[in-house]
Amino acid sequence: MKRLLISIFVYAVLLFSAVHLSAQDGGETSAPAPDVMTLAYNNILVILAVLVLIGVILAGLNLIWALIEIQRIKLLDKYGPEVLEKANLSATGTLWDKISQKSWNLVPLEREKEIEFDHEYDGIRELDNSLPPWWVWLFYLTILWGAAYLVYYHLTDMGPNQEQEYVMAMEAGEDQKAKFLASQANAVDENSVVFLDDPAALEEGKTIYMANCAACHGNSGEGLVGPNFTDKYWIHGGGIKNIFSTIKYGVPEKGMISWKTQLRPAAMQKVASYIMTLEGTNPPNPKAPEGNLYEPEKDNTAPEQKSNTEEVKSGN
Amino acid sequence: MESFNYDNKIVRNFAFASIAFGVIGMLVGLLAALQLVFPSLNFGIAETTYGRIRPLHTNAVIFAFVGNGIFMGVYYSLQRLLKTRMYSDVLSQIHFWGWQAIILAAAITLPLGITSSHEYAELEWPIDIAIALVWIVFGINMFGTILKRRENHLYVAIWFYIATWITVTVLHVFNNLELPVHLFKSIPVFAGVQDALVQWWYGHNAVAFFLTTPYLGLMYYFLPKAANRPVYSYKLSIIDFWALIFIYIWAGPHHLLYTSLPDWAQSLGTVFSVMLIAPSWGGMLNGLLTLRGAWDKVRTDPVLKFMVVAVTAYGMATLEGPLLSVKSINAISHYTDWTVGHVHVGALGWNGMLTFGVLYWLIPRIYDTKLYSMKLANWHFWIGTLGIAFYAIPLYWAGWTQSLMWKQFTPDGFLVYGNFLETVTQILPMYMLRIVGGTLYYAGVLMMVYNIWKTVAAGKLIADQPAQAPALEAYVPHKGEYWHKWIERKPIQMLIASAVLILIGGLVEIIPMMMIDNNVPKIASVQPYTPLELEGRDIYIREGCVGCHSQMIRPFRSETERYGEYSKSGEFIYDRPFLWGSKRTGPDLHRQGGKYPDSWHYNHMLEPESMSPGSIMPPYPWLFKNEINTKYTAAKIKTLQTLGTPYPDGYADRAVEDLEKQAKQVAERLSKDGINQDNMEKKEIVALIAYLQRLGTDIKVKQTPAAEVK
Repeated sequence: MKRLLISIFVYAVLLFSAVHLSAQDGGETSAPAPDVMTLAYNNILVILAVLVLIGVILAGLNLIWALIEIQRIKLLDKYGPEVLEKANLSATGTLWDKISQKSWNLVPLEREKEIEFDHEYDGIRELDNSLPPWWVWLFYLTILWGAAYLVYYHLTDMGPNQEQEYVMAMEAGEDQKAKFLASQANAVDENSVVFLDDPAALEEGKTIYMANCAACHGNSGEGLVGPNFTDKYWIHGGGIKNIFSTIKYGVPEKGMISWKTQLRPAAMQKVASYIMTLEGTNPPNPKAPEGNLYEPEKDNTAPEQKSNTEEVKSGN
Repeated sequence: MESFNYDNKIVRNFAFASIAFGVIGMLVGLLAALQLVFPSLNFGIAETTYGRIRPLHTNAVIFAFVGNGIFMGVYYSLQRLLKTRMYSDVLSQIHFWGWQAIILAAAITLPLGITSSHEYAELEWPIDIAIALVWIVFGINMFGTILKRRENHLYVAIWFYIATWITVTVLHVFNNLELPVHLFKSIPVFAGVQDALVQWWYGHNAVAFFLTTPYLGLMYYFLPKAANRPVYSYKLSIIDFWALIFIYIWAGPHHLLYTSLPDWAQSLGTVFSVMLIAPSWGGMLNGLLTLRGAWDKVRTDPVLKFMVVAVTAYGMATLEGPLLSVKSINAISHYTDWTVGHVHVGALGWNGMLTFGVLYWLIPRIYDTKLYSMKLANWHFWIGTLGIAFYAIPLYWAGWTQSLMWKQFTPDGFLVYGNFLETVTQILPMYMLRIVGGTLYYAGVLMMVYNIWKTVAAGKLIADQPAQAPALEAYVPHKGEYWHKWIERKPIQMLIASAVLILIGGLVEIIPMMMIDNNVPKIASVQPYTPLELEGRDIYIREGCVGCHSQMIRPFRSETERYGEYSKSGEFIYDRPFLWGSKRTGPDLHRQGGKYPDSWHYNHMLEPESMSPGSIMPPYPWLFKNEINTKYTAAKIKTLQTLGTPYPDGYADRAVEDLEKQAKQVAERLSKDGINQDNMEKKEIVALIAYLQRLGTDIKVKQTPAAEVK
């Protein structure tokens, strides 16, 4: 007995210190409380383990009851019911039967007449079975859950409202992105972008073009709703940097959408490079030139142009 | 002993109407399902386009198939439970023909695009009034029957009928409060968030009090009759009934989780939905446990098989519903096909299978014959059950898949599926399987039609079935009788008690939304629609765009990244009706304004695939032929002014002038983009473009929404 008390004490101390430690951890990192779904997801193995454990315990109990039952039958066989009654071993059914009986509280079919109302409606009779206890507890539980929910989210400020949830999600997203970008060196922007002449990159650029740009600028860049890419005139400036910038930020007032949320910088670089290769390809049904004749800067890869910048009226 | 006759003819009429409209309504549903995979089946005709077909399907199966099914069951059981004929044969006839006339009116007006756009309440105001009148006729007939009864106590089925009647009356009236502009157009008195709350208070309880409580009443009558078993627990009936009607009415806001409905209202929706699990299961348990001792019969009797599947489907759907009302699950399920799968478990399983079970049981009885073929009924059962599985499982799959695709980010902060269309084409195979499921289910229905046809041909209708019962005697209460017995003898008290219970939830949620201003914070920059935008909006409503496109961006990173800043309640104060939608077959449109050029919309509406290859959206060629109808523009402005939209005094007179001016501007912009058409500025497409370009542009927000909120 003494040993038992000592071991309980030791366990209690261990348990307490464990709780204490984890509380400190929480204090240091001060991470936002994860929601139940994440928590459940992160601990899926633990939850499964607990479920298996419960299953094992139930199976074990069932086995014990089965063994007792076998023992009872053996005794019954050997000594007859009188002795058995004296031995007080007359429990009937397995544990499962008992749990089932307790949770349903059903009156057996044979004794149904005892609980039948002496009244019928067009031949329909009614029984006076009690409410299934498990159902009653389920009802209480959902009501308690409801009360707890309202306390958690509204009567106290423990739970975040949906705007706070949103801010948290956005911050988490930004963090994730920043961490990833810090580990990568793929950040291209309008200042650092250069023309790619690698055929594989241009081929990829073409795929992106066909999927996203062709609807407005034509399959061959001849221009439809959007301007023609095959001439030397550019509304928002030619050259890789200007084209990249136009794709990235768009010109919403003229109908060119911003692609920065749909295309990665590297993808915009590839498609911009592909667009530059369209110049001078002379596709059928070209749209009339729009914007200004673009004179490439000296450091650009395209060949030098001699003509002056001249205004072109936009046609239909 | 008194002798009297039961009216079986009216039961027969409702039964046949239910079958006929089931056949039609489900066929329309099948067409809608096909259109989602094969857009060419929209036929390029306005009347057969998905947006107009969908409400036709939902109205036909809810109000025509199930509605007539309810009346069939009520007229059969009420007479027998009360030992009397219906109160008035004339009222029965008015009820029957009135209801069919309403259905006919719906079948004509919905394809014509005459709609209020409130889901399951699409019908316009003259039909709304007709519904109210016919419903009152039904009420008078039912209460008249109850009052001249030969039975002291009202059986539980009748409690459900009473609660159904009063609640549907209240819901129908409040959700259809609207001011007529002309015979086929009205404007709802509530706007934006308030309209949304009232609509989903209605919409949810249309499920509760049209598809559930009357059918529970039918279950309580027909299941014990068919099984020849006593009802399992009278106590459970009592608790189940009162708890169900009290709690159900609160749950409406769960259709608006994560929208701009205030948090407190959303939470009430969630909490009461979860509390609804036990009361809903009470009905299921009472049904299934009534079969205790009769399961051997279930194996052989198709009627009982249908009923078992119906009650089980009811139990599954009413567990799933509360789970879908939990915010973290709703964040995944909402706007996806999961919801569509969920409702069809209820509709095909619970309502469909119970109706079939009742029909197979009842038709041979009123025709004094045997069912033509048990074998065929068994086939119907198996093929129908299989059909439900093939319908629901692919849609669950589709819903989860699409939702996860919507939410998936790359490590560098981009949406993996930035193009919405990718998430649609991904689930088309599941839509295909859904068609298979629907077809199987439909094949079962056709088998039933044949079976019942042959049964009817073999028998003869007992139009007036003789019966006998002792006259009603004054009731002497037993000593120590349970208090509830008292209310079971008092139909009017029961009516009042039900009314009080169902009003509590509705009033607690709706009144604060109407009265307390800070539930809808005002935004100064939000302005009323211009006359052209207003006409464009009415075209959007007419075409049923809301069936596939939401206008409600939820505060999720994945949504603000895809669509733009999340929607604020103050942005919708001039939206009559609200157009938030409940399903995204296409992308959300709330921040559509200014996203694409006018010409993009022009081409896209003419031929969606030209702008988004692979799109399943149907083309709308008639918008390019029809001219904008400005006949009622001034009347609309005046009606809106009456409701409080701040147009300047006398603006109605200048409205058409303004409309033409703006239309000309849109036409000029299109022309600049190389799009020319004769009389372009007069065409409907111009109004629609003006509306789409206005959407969500009244508030200007910075690019980083997170910073904005802080």
